[in-house]
Amino acid sequence: MSKVRSQLSLIVVLMSLGIFFLLPMGAAFEYSIRNGLEGGYSFKNYLWAIREEDFVYYALRSFWLSSLTVVITLMVLVPLLTWIHVTKPRVQGWIDGLSLLPLVIPVVAFAVGAQLALPDVVKNTVLELPFLYFILSLPYAYRALDIGLRAIPLKTLVEAARSSGANWRRTITTVIVPITRTAVLATVALTFALSLGEYTLTVLLHWDTFPTWVTFVAQENLLGAIAISMMTLIIPFLLLAAISLLTPSSKNER
Amino acid sequence: MSQNYLKVKGLSKKFGNVVALNNFSLEVARGELVTLLGPSGCGKTTALRLVAGLERQDSGTIFLESRDLTLIPAHHRNMGMVFQAYSLFPNLTVAENVAFGLQMRKVDRSARIKKAHELLDLVGLDSQSARFPHQLSGGQQQRVALARALAFEPEILLLDEPLSALDAQVRSNLREEIRRLQLSLGTTTLFVTHDQEEAMSISDRVGVMNEGRLEQIDTPDDLYNHPKNVFIANFVGLMNQVSGTKTGKSVSVFGANLKVKNEVVTDGRVLVYIRPEFVELECTESDADAKVISRLFLGSVSQVICQLNDGTIVHSLLSSRMSAEFAPGIRVKIRVNEDEVLVSNG
Repeated sequence: MSKVRSQLSLIVVLMSLGIFFLLPMGAAFEYSIRNGLEGGYSFKNYLWAIREEDFVYYALRSFWLSSLTVVITLMVLVPLLTWIHVTKPRVQGWIDGLSLLPLVIPVVAFAVGAQLALPDVVKNTVLELPFLYFILSLPYAYRALDIGLRAIPLKTLVEAARSSGANWRRTITTVIVPITRTAVLATVALTFALSLGEYTLTVLLHWDTFPTWVTFVAQENLLGAIAISMMTLIIPFLLLAAISLLTPSSKNER
Repeated sequence: MSQNYLKVKGLSKKFGNVVALNNFSLEVARGELVTLLGPSGCGKTTALRLVAGLERQDSGTIFLESRDLTLIPAHHRNMGMVFQAYSLFPNLTVAENVAFGLQMRKVDRSARIKKAHELLDLVGLDSQSARFPHQLSGGQQQRVALARALAFEPEILLLDEPLSALDAQVRSNLREEIRRLQLSLGTTTLFVTHDQEEAMSISDRVGVMNEGRLEQIDTPDDLYNHPKNVFIANFVGLMNQVSGTKTGKSVSVFGANLKVKNEVVTDGRVLVYIRPEFVELECTESDADAKVISRLFLGSVSQVICQLNDGTIVHSLLSSRMSAEFAPGIRVKIRVNEDEVLVSNG
């Protein structure tokens, strides 16, 4: 009886979550295929979006900026967190707190302050965006990775690798990243999705990326802008699907 | 045996205000198995980790023959290590785990797979080479860890309590296996444990540590029979502590006058340290020193536990045949069959 009840509770929770996430998306999709004042449904908004001359340019621009953000995040966070967990466990609390700062610092203050701290090579070029996106996504990326590193006997594994002859770089690439691949992929997905959709900071710094372009074209064709947004949802979905496929289930866990 | 292969001199290490290692020195000969034994927190694991390069010493030097390892990072020291916790890489198969050290040394794939199978064969696990660590028992995992640590032919094998997470039977088998492998491969080994039986049974020499210092390093026989101080006498093996009276260089206990080994103790009431095998019992009704309270049958020998009139417990180790007459309640006279004893102020 209790088993049936718990299964029912699970179904109710899953259905509620499904409605919570799918209903807005379904509504957005329905909106995106409307024919406007003519009435009826078609994919003409999608065709309009694809035919827009700047669509590919801004989509690719945001894609490589987000990819660069992911690379910076992984190159900074994975070695740093591994090193802190292994050698300076006492400072974890401080790092934990520091990682939350991007959530509490107003974006205007952050944009000006962080920009000043950037190296001259990237300052005032579009390459400053990945560094700033990295900081903005830090609270989420840090936690996703931290959970993964806490779930394994990190210190012992690192020491086993080092005493077997692996330097820090090889320890991280051949041992830590493969073992924590679920956490690493979650970090990748979160960072990529957050960077891809970042708007406020980009506008404040007077750069144009895909989200700012969508806002611009929305003034001309609102339904077309929604169609574009629907298309951009596919990328995070593909990432999440990749994580699900690459995450070992309890049955086939290696 | 020339003891100048591994030379550790004056190592000190503090963690905050806690002194983990205090002027620790040690020399190990090539092919020797030396165990560091001591209570929790005595610094034995810190000493091992400093030798491995996993911690940086505050002062002191580490030499391997003429090579100064003091500032060399762990991955360049060529020392294999087996840890207390299971440390196999969960994403690699058993064979890949064993071959890991060779892969880091850029040995070609076919050679490292061949070597991994050789090592797995040595530890009796070649049939498990395609499995993943979580499919093995704890004992098997530690065997694989041992194979991994030996695969790249380390100059020193470091064992940090590798048996402590295993059950008694597996522990006993694996420690014999470690000794067999160490002797057959001739690998110089530094072993850390808090288990006396483990230390005494497989080591060429045992170093007893206390409060960050090496108190004594000797063969298991010498350590047991000739402890240099009261701490070692108490820590290694079972030791009786009975009250006696010291006068000059002798001490009176159970009516006998015995020579005092350590002379820094003042005259008067002292504690006398006597091994159970040197305590002899004689049944008597008059003039008894103690009463038998129990007898533990241990096979060929038995331990007879007596209580002195002042309440002190004394253990006597006798052959089981001889101990049969000492049933609980029997009153006994005690004789000490030893010429020289350690004493301390009581």
